[in-house]
Amino acid sequence: MPLIGQLALALALIMASYSIVANVIGSRRNVPAMLSSARHALWAMAAMVSVGVLALWTSLLRNDLSLEYVASYTSLTLPTFYKVTALWGGQQGSLLFWTWLLSIFTAIVAFQRRRDPVLTPYALAVLAGLAIFFLFMLNFVTRPFDMVVKVPADGQDLNPLLQNYWMAIHPPSLYTGYVSASVPFAFGTAALLTGRFDDSWIRSTRRWAVFSWFFLTLGNLFGARWAYEVLGWGGYWAWDPVENAAFMPWLVMTAYLHSVMIQERKDMLKVWNLALIGMVFCLTLFGTFITRSGVISSVHSFTQSGLGPFFLTFLIAITVSYAVLLLARVKQLRSPAEMESYLSREAAFLFNNLVLVGIAFAVFWGTLFPVLSEAVRGVKITVGPPFFDKVNAPLALALIFLMGVGPLIAWRRSSFFSLAKTFAGPVFFGVVTGVSAAFAGLREWYALTAFSLAAFALGTVFVEFRRGASARQHMVSERPATAVVNLIVKNNRRYGGYIIHVGVALAFVGIVGSSFFKTEVKKTVKPGSAFDVGPYELVFLGLSHDETPHLESARAEVEVLRGGKSVAVMRPGKLFYKRPQQPATSVAIRSTPASDLYVVLAGIDDNSGLVTFQVFLTPLVFWLWAGGFIMAFGTVIVMWPNVRERAAIAAAVRAPATIQREPVIVPGGD
Amino acid sequence: VAFKYLRSLVAAGIAMMFIIMAVATFAASRTSVEEVSEGLTCQCGCGLTVANCNHPQCEFSVPVRQQIETMISRGMGRTEIISFFRARYGEKILSAPTTQGFNLLAWIIPFAAVFAGCLLIVGAIFRWRANQFIEEQTFESGLAPDDPVLRHHLEQEIRE
Repeated sequence: MPLIGQLALALALIMASYSIVANVIGSRRNVPAMLSSARHALWAMAAMVSVGVLALWTSLLRNDLSLEYVASYTSLTLPTFYKVTALWGGQQGSLLFWTWLLSIFTAIVAFQRRRDPVLTPYALAVLAGLAIFFLFMLNFVTRPFDMVVKVPADGQDLNPLLQNYWMAIHPPSLYTGYVSASVPFAFGTAALLTGRFDDSWIRSTRRWAVFSWFFLTLGNLFGARWAYEVLGWGGYWAWDPVENAAFMPWLVMTAYLHSVMIQERKDMLKVWNLALIGMVFCLTLFGTFITRSGVISSVHSFTQSGLGPFFLTFLIAITVSYAVLLLARVKQLRSPAEMESYLSREAAFLFNNLVLVGIAFAVFWGTLFPVLSEAVRGVKITVGPPFFDKVNAPLALALIFLMGVGPLIAWRRSSFFSLAKTFAGPVFFGVVTGVSAAFAGLREWYALTAFSLAAFALGTVFVEFRRGASARQHMVSERPATAVVNLIVKNNRRYGGYIIHVGVALAFVGIVGSSFFKTEVKKTVKPGSAFDVGPYELVFLGLSHDETPHLESARAEVEVLRGGKSVAVMRPGKLFYKRPQQPATSVAIRSTPASDLYVVLAGIDDNSGLVTFQVFLTPLVFWLWAGGFIMAFGTVIVMWPNVRERAAIAAAVRAPATIQREPVIVPGGD
Repeated sequence: VAFKYLRSLVAAGIAMMFIIMAVATFAASRTSVEEVSEGLTCQCGCGLTVANCNHPQCEFSVPVRQQIETMISRGMGRTEIISFFRARYGEKILSAPTTQGFNLLAWIIPFAAVFAGCLLIVGAIFRWRANQFIEEQTFESGLAPDDPVLRHHLEQEIRE
């Protein structure tokens, strides 16, 4: 099986290399047979990489300890589910998984070639070029099918922190987000290479960009949830370099998704959009570089990998070539830009782009500053949560404010009078929220402002839905609920976007609430004793032990009372994984919309029978997860096929490339 | 309609007020130990601050937190305590760069970049508004654009 796997990867590399040559020659000399051959080569590449993945999965499931990867990341007692997820639990496997996703997406793009026959061959050549790098690594630098010299009796087991269901879906989601960003990047590069500078590349890849954003959102969300449930510190985001590396492409992709609307409507910002998609892709590579280089210490790193120089070279090569290509085309990309007013949706989108890219830059700067400091001063410093919190806090407020302004301000221009009329409701709602919060006893100015702005942003979405639904009620005499549903169905891109805004505002409320008002109690108690945490009384009932061939566990039974009434029984535990001889924490969480009760079994004294609990009461954190899932739901609505939009894309692509067209307005494109 | 609209907003406002009151019930100011320990990075390798270290029996963060508690009980302030740990472990123990010398750049650059971006956008919109104005003027005065070919076509069409 390992031989088949490695052979398949070698064949995939050959196929990818051939496809580039065939695509470029086929496009330049207009030879359809060559283009067809290139596509077949890419499908063969995807098939070969799939064989490689299946070979590794088979080896993992069959406990083939003769394979170094299997011996390093599994054990005989590891549950089957985690043997499957071990594919992305280690260096070589995760790189293979990444390449697999890239090959599948490339195959899909080849399949969709008729959507844009001019750009697709070039985009496929770019995607094949990226695949070649990863296949080169898998064939010559970090081989997943290397054998061990002496077969061990058992494997070293998967890192206990990775033996969690969130970890099973967090890396695939994030990788899907990262890798799918390469499709719009490839089409952007194709546009630069071919000189076809209209927005057809954006239209052809809009769904890919939203798809990428969807998975980046889920990837970040699942990662945060994993940290919350597994790391046992009551938090979910520590501004670790690898977390930052996942967050930055999300921010820039968000900016891109807003900015392309201006190009679609007004044929402006061509250079900026191409720069943004280039940034997104380079940031995904930067994330991979950070994880695999060890240049910045992170809890997520594969620091012993030694892949850093390869990734750094690739990252620099891609960034420099793309920048040079873009600069060479700047003059041709310039269009006669016009804007009527500072009080317009275009202007709001520009400032929204500034804030999003500004936050991404602040995160990038903070992540790299320790390296810079060491290089300049020779002093190692840490840039941790206090820095990121302080720098990003004002920018986040600006972002939420602009998120509220965007949906209601008109395209082209607005008057102060119309603005005052439109925003009166949301502003009133925001002010009421802030004043109520102040009366309720909140004294943190940041939290007060944040809650007010979130309410303002929610108010604008409410007004926008209400306006649209009222119009439908009057025009086609629909019931209110039917009007809202039809509003979304007929204009999914626009109203799906507003649902995403609701998710962002709620997630923001969750982040602020959980960051500012978290309380922590640490108590050492004996069985039968009770202690108070906020409005709850926790009674420690007793301790139970369990043992399986894979791990030993101790669980405390804690009854939770509120107002004298029992509301839950929680079971926090301590786990001890036998094979790696490593302890882990199993936290117990009772989640409600108002607050989470988060109980950690911090210590057990076997001699005295005393047990130490660390308990966090975290307000509003529920809304972070709820907001995240609302964002995902809104994105699904945005991605849902829309017949009118497809017709517009087809019309745009059919238009001759050399003629400067009037921008085609896609229905519901706000 | 306005009344209905106002009524729904007030209802939503009241709902929000209740949620916030629920939050306020739980709200409490952070303890001084937490405030100080958030300024220090744990040296056990967890990558978190001393306040957030996730190793319950951590050999670094647990004694440091106890030491901070003792220092606070002796009347020492946040700055004084953090200076003490900085002198003992070096700058790497601080969880954020200082605001002096080269480190000041860490704080200034992000805001300077956003400010520069802001100026750039304001300038760009100003220029684009001027383009719009010129186009409107051209349109309104009936003048053809400066392109001689277009002018020729236009004059020919007017003659015809």
